[in-house]
Amino acid sequence: MTLRARMRTRHRDRGSRFLVPAVVILGLTSVYPTLYSIYMSFFDWNWGQRFNFVGLQNYVDLAASERFRTALWNTIVFTVSAVSVEFVLGLGLAVVITRLRFGQGAVRTLLLVPLMVSGIIVSVIWKVMLDPSVGIISYGLQLLGLPRMGFLGDPAMAMATIVLIDTWWQTAFVFIVLSAGVQALPVEPFEAAEVDGASSWQRFRYLTLPLLKPAILVVLMFRTVDCLKVFAIIFGTTGGGPLTTTESVQILAYREAFKTLNMSVSMTTMVVFAAFALLVLMLYQRLIPPAEVEV
Amino acid sequence: MRRGRWNLGTWAAYGIALLATLISLFPLYWLFVISTKTPREAFETPPQLLYIPDFSKYFQIWGTGGFADAYLNSIQVVLLGVGLTLLVATPAAYAVIRFRVRGVRYLRLWLLLAYTTPEFLFVIPMYVLYQQLGVYDTVIGLAIIYQVFAIPFAVWLIQSFLGEVPRELGDAARVDGASELQTLLRVYLPLAAPGLAATAILVGINMWNEVTIALSLTFDEARTVQIAVAGYRGYAAIRWQEMAAAAVMAVVPMIIFAGIAQRYIVKGLTFGAVK
Repeated sequence: MTLRARMRTRHRDRGSRFLVPAVVILGLTSVYPTLYSIYMSFFDWNWGQRFNFVGLQNYVDLAASERFRTALWNTIVFTVSAVSVEFVLGLGLAVVITRLRFGQGAVRTLLLVPLMVSGIIVSVIWKVMLDPSVGIISYGLQLLGLPRMGFLGDPAMAMATIVLIDTWWQTAFVFIVLSAGVQALPVEPFEAAEVDGASSWQRFRYLTLPLLKPAILVVLMFRTVDCLKVFAIIFGTTGGGPLTTTESVQILAYREAFKTLNMSVSMTTMVVFAAFALLVLMLYQRLIPPAEVEV
Repeated sequence: MRRGRWNLGTWAAYGIALLATLISLFPLYWLFVISTKTPREAFETPPQLLYIPDFSKYFQIWGTGGFADAYLNSIQVVLLGVGLTLLVATPAAYAVIRFRVRGVRYLRLWLLLAYTTPEFLFVIPMYVLYQQLGVYDTVIGLAIIYQVFAIPFAVWLIQSFLGEVPRELGDAARVDGASELQTLLRVYLPLAAPGLAATAILVGINMWNEVTIALSLTFDEARTVQIAVAGYRGYAAIRWQEMAAAAVMAVVPMIIFAGIAQRYIVKGLTFGAVK
């Protein structure tokens, strides 16, 4: 037995005590509330005297709830749209930026800035710019001879506008991660392909994309679970309106808990939705090759 | 990277890069413009491009409406929260890389789950618990609940930094009779210090920018800067300029900190999954 192996065995269990504080705090902040939510989903509780065991009634009600279905649908529409647009733009930018002869670092740094802005401030910025009467974008449309648009106030446009706002905010995430991936690509296959006369599209399609696959999956996973959680940029702009056209599941759960005090309904909503998000996460986990990416 | 002449593709790449940079930065520039014009100029059309910046709104909001209090609350939450995160996540990360702890695979999965869970799953029960314990609307309460995303993020990141320290150094210290704690403190930490500093900055930015949890678990006493910014929406009319000035004050320090930790941001953004 080597010295190292002996030390590993000897300290195998002593290592766990280094984990205790993290496990305790995470237990309190993640496991306890999850179990509590599941427990409370079997009761009818409105933050007052009413506290009755109702079995699966909350789940039955949820399944029948038009509003929940709308919120879930809105969330899925938002997630699929935002992730797709951000992915295409971010990947495109990552590839394009490597063609710059100088200034790559500067461009990367500057493009990163929106990510450092909070969801509320992103909302503030875009509310100011998109205001139908005083916003700079309305003024720009007017200069171009286009009609004024309602954007966030128009039921037909509100969701698309939120997707646009998220695109401004988070495309840099896709860009910066894939950009690191592109920079780390081996040079030889690309040179060989160039010698063989492969077009730049062929090189992208048959070399860049497959080689980037692990990084692409990680990026898509993080963007997807993050978009499913969407709250701040909706809270800060439309609050879920007009009507319920931009109401995401988290906005709905917030409203149920803090506006109408249907605590157990809200918790049931989140239990079901978190299970859904977990399923999505697990699907990605199965796709990501474990050897290449340690997640 | 590539040799050769400047061709059409290179020019197009510069064109796209310029456009993308303008789109990224213009909204923030515009926020600044709105906050530093006089009320009459702010929404004038066509907008005045050259003007003398007027910072009176900044002094005005700092002095009224509890904005300064909210700002200081956020600083406290970040300092307390980041301190706790480093204290807890560093030994955990050390255990992950140095010992063959049983079930590390499950621990990693748990960290990923805690990090990605939709907030209201834990916020609503914590609201109930915090009301009972009397930590609702306190800086400490917020700093504790923030660990739910900060610990996973920090363990992942710190683990990748500690992992870069040659194992032999740690083994040598052990042979010389140092305890595991001493080995961590005297051998690993000094070598991983820049990474730890970057982790602290990135966790701090996340806490400073957090909205969902702060909105639900604070009310007045521990109101954070983000919630204060949102507060300028008012009931009757939005106070655009005050809101813009508050937003600028909240965002500028984060951009500066991000600049400092820039080199580590890619690692941080992906949970260390992409090196």
